[in-house]
Amino acid sequence: MRGKFTILPLALLLGFSTQQVNGQTGPKPGRLSDTTKLSEVVVVGYGTRKVTKVSGAISTIKSVDIEKLQPVRVEDALQGRASGLSIINSGSPGSKPTVFVRGIPSFSGTDPLVIIDGVPQTLTDLNSINASDIESINVLKDAATTAIYGVKGGNGVIVVTTKSGKRNQKTDINYSSYYGFQEVVNTVGVLNATEYGAMVNEGSRLAGGGLVFSDLSKLGVGTNWQNEVFKRAAIQSHNVTARGGSDKMTYFLSAGALQQGGIVGGMDKSNFTRGNLTANLIFDLTPKLKFIMNTTGVVLNSKGVQENSFNSVLGSAINFDPTVANSNAGYSNLLLSEIYNPLTKLDNTYNKNVGTKIYGKFEFQYDILDNLKVSTRFGYTKFDNDAKSFTPLVFYGPLNVDNTMNADGTAVAGKFNQVNHDKMGNFNWTWESFANYNFKYKEDHDFETVLGFALAKVSGNALGASRQDVPFNSWEFADFTAATGTNTALNPTAINGYYYQYFRRNLSSFARVNYDFKSRYLASVTIRRDGSYAFGIDNKYANFYSGSLGWIVSEEDFFKSKFINNLKVRGSYGAIGNENVNPQFVGIITGGPSYGPTGNSNGYSFGDIFVPGATVGSAANNALRWEKQIQSNFGFDMIFHKYKFSLSADVFRKSVDGLLFTPSASLYLGTVPIPTDNIGSTQTTGVDITFAYYEKIKDQVKLSNSITFTAAKNEVTATNTDGTAKIFGGYYFNGQSQSVTVFEKGFSPGYFYGYKTDGLFQNEQEIAAAAKQLGAKPGDIKFVDVNGDGVINADDRTQIGNPFPDFTLGWNLTVEYKNFDLNAFTYASVGNDIYRAYERNGNYTNKDRRILERWTGEGSTNSAENPRYSFVDANNNSRVSDRYVEDGSFVKLKNIQLGYSISNFPKRIKINKIRFYAQVKNAFVITKYSGFDPEIAGGVLDTGIDRGAYPQARTFALGIDVKF
Amino acid sequence: MKKGISTIVVLSVLILTLASCKKWVDYDPHEDFKQTELDYLRTEADYRTMAVSVYTPIQWLNQSVVVGEIASDNAVSGGESASDVLSLQQIDDMTHNANNSTLTELWQAAYEGINRANYMHQYKAKNPGGNTVSFTGKEALYGEVYFLRAYYYFHLVRFFGDVPLFTEKRLGLTESKSLKRTDKAQVYAQIESDLLSAIAVLPSVQIQKGRVTKYAAQALLGKVYLYQQKYTDASDMLANVINSNAFSLPSNYEGIFLSSGENGPESVFEIQYSNTSPYYNWGAVNRGQGNYAVQQCGVRGINGTDSMPYAAGWSTNLPTTDLASAYQSGDKRKAVTVLDIAAYKAAHPSYNITYQEAPYKNTGLYNQKFLPRKGQTSGQIELNYLNNYRTIRYADVLLMAAEALVKSGGSEVKALEYVNLVRQRAFGDNTHNISASGNALYLAILDERRLELAMEGDRFFDLVRTGMAETKITGFVKGKHEVFPIPFEEINISGLSQNPGY
Repeated sequence: MRGKFTILPLALLLGFSTQQVNGQTGPKPGRLSDTTKLSEVVVVGYGTRKVTKVSGAISTIKSVDIEKLQPVRVEDALQGRASGLSIINSGSPGSKPTVFVRGIPSFSGTDPLVIIDGVPQTLTDLNSINASDIESINVLKDAATTAIYGVKGGNGVIVVTTKSGKRNQKTDINYSSYYGFQEVVNTVGVLNATEYGAMVNEGSRLAGGGLVFSDLSKLGVGTNWQNEVFKRAAIQSHNVTARGGSDKMTYFLSAGALQQGGIVGGMDKSNFTRGNLTANLIFDLTPKLKFIMNTTGVVLNSKGVQENSFNSVLGSAINFDPTVANSNAGYSNLLLSEIYNPLTKLDNTYNKNVGTKIYGKFEFQYDILDNLKVSTRFGYTKFDNDAKSFTPLVFYGPLNVDNTMNADGTAVAGKFNQVNHDKMGNFNWTWESFANYNFKYKEDHDFETVLGFALAKVSGNALGASRQDVPFNSWEFADFTAATGTNTALNPTAINGYYYQYFRRNLSSFARVNYDFKSRYLASVTIRRDGSYAFGIDNKYANFYSGSLGWIVSEEDFFKSKFINNLKVRGSYGAIGNENVNPQFVGIITGGPSYGPTGNSNGYSFGDIFVPGATVGSAANNALRWEKQIQSNFGFDMIFHKYKFSLSADVFRKSVDGLLFTPSASLYLGTVPIPTDNIGSTQTTGVDITFAYYEKIKDQVKLSNSITFTAAKNEVTATNTDGTAKIFGGYYFNGQSQSVTVFEKGFSPGYFYGYKTDGLFQNEQEIAAAAKQLGAKPGDIKFVDVNGDGVINADDRTQIGNPFPDFTLGWNLTVEYKNFDLNAFTYASVGNDIYRAYERNGNYTNKDRRILERWTGEGSTNSAENPRYSFVDANNNSRVSDRYVEDGSFVKLKNIQLGYSISNFPKRIKINKIRFYAQVKNAFVITKYSGFDPEIAGGVLDTGIDRGAYPQARTFALGIDVKF
Repeated sequence: MKKGISTIVVLSVLILTLASCKKWVDYDPHEDFKQTELDYLRTEADYRTMAVSVYTPIQWLNQSVVVGEIASDNAVSGGESASDVLSLQQIDDMTHNANNSTLTELWQAAYEGINRANYMHQYKAKNPGGNTVSFTGKEALYGEVYFLRAYYYFHLVRFFGDVPLFTEKRLGLTESKSLKRTDKAQVYAQIESDLLSAIAVLPSVQIQKGRVTKYAAQALLGKVYLYQQKYTDASDMLANVINSNAFSLPSNYEGIFLSSGENGPESVFEIQYSNTSPYYNWGAVNRGQGNYAVQQCGVRGINGTDSMPYAAGWSTNLPTTDLASAYQSGDKRKAVTVLDIAAYKAAHPSYNITYQEAPYKNTGLYNQKFLPRKGQTSGQIELNYLNNYRTIRYADVLLMAAEALVKSGGSEVKALEYVNLVRQRAFGDNTHNISASGNALYLAILDERRLELAMEGDRFFDLVRTGMAETKITGFVKGKHEVFPIPFEEINISGLSQNPGY
């Protein structure tokens, strides 16, 4: 009986809520399939395991929560709900967020592995799964649970299980739909036209020039371009599912359509559309032989605008001249290149992507004995994307130097419009065969074993063509077949094309033994052996192993706590890997110039006739191997105080070695790129906590809370052979090309790197007294002489911020009262810094409002954010410094939803239940950050760099769920 | 029974799969359509194509000419400010240290050339597959390879003194950090031996312009002897070139440096650049087919009518007034070598010239031999100027021969004849002929070298080898600045010793 009661708090612990189903009262876990009614199981690699018997670290999200959020991408539902997972979302419709499972292991290739119904896919593939098809998501976090995926498991594993049918049940039909609109949450404070005119005048005057605007009173407030480019955009989703089955087969069928417009430019220019059809079928071919076929077809269409750079649509909206009238025909006579009227830019953005994907599996399961099952499964993903973009001839204004069209509509000499077609396709498959054998030894010794092998291949290719001279300079005729450009000696790129292909292959075998004694002592051992086509010939195979132990203390006879109802302690240790290498070989390159990092060019011009050459172009490292991670985890799960509370906490430590770095090698080896070697390492330590609280007040109000806490600390512990290597990233342009982030020994990966500021120079004496700083004048920023050599130079750059949060918190609250239900999800990120990189900083670009507080004379201000303003910046106040670093900590009310359910319909109306709801996403954001949105996604080296990143929208939606 | 069958089926599937394992995870570059070294050097065409790329790195050395002048009394580094083109500023001011990107590039590019030549040498008898590929002209082809290897080592020894010497093969990662510096006498011996091998097999005429000929090898060897003060050897070697009558001095000095004058009758060896393969890699600006050093010479922001010939540049390699005033009046070389932009503007009002004065170290003079001209670049215009380097001109050969004759006690009459051939062209008459002898003649020859070859990259090295650097170059420290520092990165990684004083 005890086991039965533990279900509820555990269910809460795992993040699913209680609800009233079919008039039945009392708490009950969310939808469970018939086979797992009594004891919840989690899906682990090549099998399932009772929650109570798991001794590794797993976070679980159930369908109920996913349905509450109505996410466009599934990761959205994991943010803050699964502890140990760090997710930074992007606002661009359908785009991939940054996802880290337990810290940052590397500078590249950090995406966790995604398994959908047993079939390996990628994080990118999560854009094509319909949220209403998902039964559960398990995030495997430690070596004990991921080692079964070996060389693919190093970054953690997200296991998605989709719904399946129910045996002997009549068809259960669900319809759900919502419609809403989205709008921008914050805009950036920039100058109005009068303020802008005054600042331009001041900048010019201080640089020794004349007034640019002779009469400021004519300028008024002018145009705030952000208001012109942000549009309200609709979002809608419609789904129908049907599930049921006979005694020989079960089915789950689903059809869904989703359309999200982008708030930058609106639906016309920026959108994401997805259509899904799914059929998950299980047939009993014989009493012992089962055939499972899951098939999903997806159509993914999208349009996009240029993003995340100073000259993108948003970057232009921030930086463009506010004195220009708000129409797409308006032009600036001051800003003559790089930054254009954002409406002109938006109007001339034409592209579309049409993606089609089919994925799924064919699986046979044969029960040789009652407790011995053999499965063989072929999983596949086939994706094709067909993209088209059109670059028209554009007129940006009479003085603009980047015009491709003259004012009269003719092309500028040497400029052409162009249509580009890009097609890419891939076909990835995995064939896995494995046997599950479960047995008992002397009653109390329980064994569950798996043994199997897998073959996998990833392959793809891409080809594209472009052509100039599209008739009428119009999107309508933008197609290769309609364009008329032909190559000539002077213009060899009127017609252009390319093609490339790639593949990867893996071979793996694996085994696992789970053991428990009296359901009290748990142990698990996993071994995997992986071979990869990419590894060097001396290291073709890698072995991974892990072990875990668990002890359900509360099952012991001596355990007689009234307060603690259930307590499990567990620990794990193991090795897993990462395969982010490419095969190396001694290659010969032929032809001409090289655009590689070492410029290892070929060929020579004899006279003016170019003769191609050949040389050694690559070298091999036969010892090339996988990135190896050693992970240890210790945690406990506890249920206490009348089964109302649960607490699950884990501490972990993760050492990654074998990061690919280029060893420092003698320069006299020449310019053949030095082959990378597995010599870098990182270390991560962290804590994941999930706390849940359930309360029922007078059988009327049901309250459930779940709080997650995720923290990880990362450090790069080795790079190249002499520790000097730095991998730079976070590039942006503010008049000079700048780099902000570095992956470097001794620091957190991707930390911000630049000058520290120490206020402003108030007078000449202060300049004379300070370290020598070229070009400094009173009112300029005083930079810190970090190395104390008396000179401010590049050697004084140091750590000025870290884009990754110290910790994140998620709080999911559900309240049910009679027919009402309320869900509120709050997410907080603390300690993440943001580097403000969207200011172009040109003489005539618009400026952040901070400039109004600038230094205007001795004592006016000493804030390094507000140096004097002059067109001539000899002090280089705009260099990378903490002037641009802001605290990006935030609290977001990510989702609030109020629902009302009606059930108990008369029999003749064939409706079981209807639920209406109203929902607001990103209802409010509390942050000190002055940009659009403090969540700025990117890779390890681009996270937190705000170049005008696409902000997440606030969404207002109304929805309905009907169960027939 | 049924159970048994299933078990057998399952087991056989398992066995079959595992049996094919090995192949499944092997990687064959051919699957990616990539050529490996075993696929190459299997035909005559492969050998010939690969030899072309042994030439490539000589194009990457274009900054050696810039450094050879800026380090001397002929040119300054100009630029936008004291911190612009820092590596050149420091060389100009004789404050350069081992951390110098230009010197690092000149080191590494030359070693890539050596590795390429070595790779050809390594597989001369047998290719990587172990087979011998014989063809007519193979030896002559290897003559070019050995010439180029000598050229790279000569470049290194001139710049850096003692340098690591290896000739057997292309070095791989396992040989990293394994070498020490070799005494420059040994490096010179290797250069001489490579050039002698080349001379023995090279033809005197090549159909393709810019290919190495026997005379180019002889002229370079003459120069190599001269640098070692082996005057008799130099004199004898250079006589071969002069007596071949294969070269002459065209009367129009200016014409040599126009694009129409490339590979002309005076050209003994010319490093080829062209604008026909536009290149755009800003990460490795010297590695295309264009001559990056040309853009450096240009007048900032120069603009004018269509007929005004010049294009804008960066003013980072400016002739000094000292050089300009070294020309006697009537010397036509002055106007060809230095462009006084203000005078030029005044003389050509119809061009409507506007330009920005060089912001730093302005001399008002520009390096006209390599000034960017309209229509001579393409694509990424800064990187693709077509101007060849006239690396060894016949005038150079004549002046070297004259110097060698004087220093070796040979015929001063001949020496005078050679110098005066050069002067007659420069002045367009015989009245400026010189008639000195002994040391005066020697000094006159050196002066003539400066005037004739100014801005072509030899000045600094001529001053050093003749012991005049200390008096002519401000900031020059004897015993230190004769050679440049070994790049810091190389010292740091490979543990090489540094040159004295750095």
